[in-house]
Amino acid sequence: MARRMKIGITCPYTWDVPGGVQSHVRDLAETYIDLGYDVSVITPVDDEANLPPYAVSAGKAVALPYNGSVSRVLLGVKSGARVRRWLRESDLDVLHVHEPTAPSVSLLACLNADGPIVATFHTMNPRSRFLSAARGVLQPSFEKIRARIAVSEAARRTVVEHLGVDAILIPNGVLVRTFANAGPLPGYGPDGRTIAFLGRIDEPRKGLAVLLAALPELIERVPDARLVVAGPGDVEHVRDGLDPALLDRVDLLGLVSAEDKPRVYCSGDIYCAPNTGQESFGIVLLEAMAAGTPVVSSDIAAFRRVLDGGRAGKLFRNGDASSLATVLADLLADSGERQRLVEAGREVVAPYDWPVLAGQILQVYEMVTEEGTARRRVGVDDSAGSRVAAEAV
Amino acid sequence: MYVVVLVVALVVIIATYLTWLGMRIDRLGARVRDARASLDVQLERRADGAREAAERAGPQAAPVREAALSALAACSDECEVAESGLTRALRATPLGPDDELSTEVARVSLARQFHNDAVRDLRTLRGRWLVRSLRLGGRSPLPAYFEIDDDATLPTAPYSGPGPGAGPGPGPGTAEARPGQPTHT
Repeated sequence: MARRMKIGITCPYTWDVPGGVQSHVRDLAETYIDLGYDVSVITPVDDEANLPPYAVSAGKAVALPYNGSVSRVLLGVKSGARVRRWLRESDLDVLHVHEPTAPSVSLLACLNADGPIVATFHTMNPRSRFLSAARGVLQPSFEKIRARIAVSEAARRTVVEHLGVDAILIPNGVLVRTFANAGPLPGYGPDGRTIAFLGRIDEPRKGLAVLLAALPELIERVPDARLVVAGPGDVEHVRDGLDPALLDRVDLLGLVSAEDKPRVYCSGDIYCAPNTGQESFGIVLLEAMAAGTPVVSSDIAAFRRVLDGGRAGKLFRNGDASSLATVLADLLADSGERQRLVEAGREVVAPYDWPVLAGQILQVYEMVTEEGTARRRVGVDDSAGSRVAAEAV
Repeated sequence: MYVVVLVVALVVIIATYLTWLGMRIDRLGARVRDARASLDVQLERRADGAREAAERAGPQAAPVREAALSALAACSDECEVAESGLTRALRATPLGPDDELSTEVARVSLARQFHNDAVRDLRTLRGRWLVRSLRLGGRSPLPAYFEIDDDATLPTAPYSGPGPGAGPGPGPGTAEARPGQPTHT
């Protein structure tokens, strides 16, 4: 190909607010750039100084109370004009919109573009009121989408139910390199006695209570064992609930920055995920494996699947602190087994590495841009209806 | 006077709407044609790849070679039968590991999904009462779905681990075999 493929990506949610879709778009865009593609991202953003060089602003999103929570939406004549200008100036080979069902940039891009459009659906939202109400109005935009990707089986079901067409399953990824190259936090690291935990500390489903309950029994077998706990939540409340004898064994770090998150995994000999349920996948386990840390997790179905039934990480009986203490103590005592788990973990996480997943998404791009004999490009949809509709919203 | 303005405005609105509806139909028609062209390209690549692989594999792969040749020769009427025949031949005959062929096979089911989705969107729009009664879709026949057996697993395809394996993303048929879904943390 004489010309590098130019890929345009739209992110519907405010760039400088942390979120799953935002990280997905960021990791995907940066992976493409590493692979040598030309990438432009358009996204709502609060402070344009936070944008990386490959992204442009679509304006500020407005917070609207919706469905019992606050959604940030971005729809308006001004944003529509920005999206049109971006489409016109970027001269894209393929337009990849994320979550086009959200009332934001991706929807505006669908409305205003024509040509090879690929869409990724993230949420499982079985009864979206916005979708049900606006289905008729949105259909003309959605029927321009040539290929649909869902990040999960549940998201795929939502697409089938709401839009009546199928989607390809390509899961969320992990940027393995970022985790593999991260070092431990200062003062921590594998020293034969440290267990790391990452997750909301006041969310019972994340299971910190089980891990804390296992600590006394663990200390009986490993006298100098300690716990490093990172994640948002009320640190004081958790500290107040601790047995005073354990205070010096539990380091509560609170919320850590996005840069420090990979380092938390590297700060322990073992990463422990005592989640008690409702995990549909377990991206945290993959991240720990990418960081090269052996994993101990509860034996809930989703985790058992990721850990390949116990081959790639140790499982304990869900909610059973005594079982957890035994598994942790056994594993701390066996460095050979820890090494084996690290190797097995690397194998499990490899297919979820962003460059691998990006390769699969690029194949989809190839198929929608190669269609027919003439190469197609993304253009601006100048039909009267689209302009009218764009101005109406 | 009022009435005239009202009638003119109404006529303009109706005309704009109908024009726009016509453009949607044209655009979907183009999407279906593109998807069909892409599907034909993928089918031909798969048949070519299968023929070459069968010739490399020797006499025991004769069924694949024959199925590939008849798929390449089939005209549009018998195309679906011939392509399904090739899929069955590929499934039944181990050819030795061949990543390229596995990719071609997987891409056929993707191309078929994209094509059938486009056909479904067009048929839905052209099936609407207004479109039918005003013949906005023209007189061309409704495009047909392309239905073949394209189960993408080859007997010799290398095991690619429990995650998303080689090839252009898992087809819908293989989704159940994969670990559940990541959530946003």
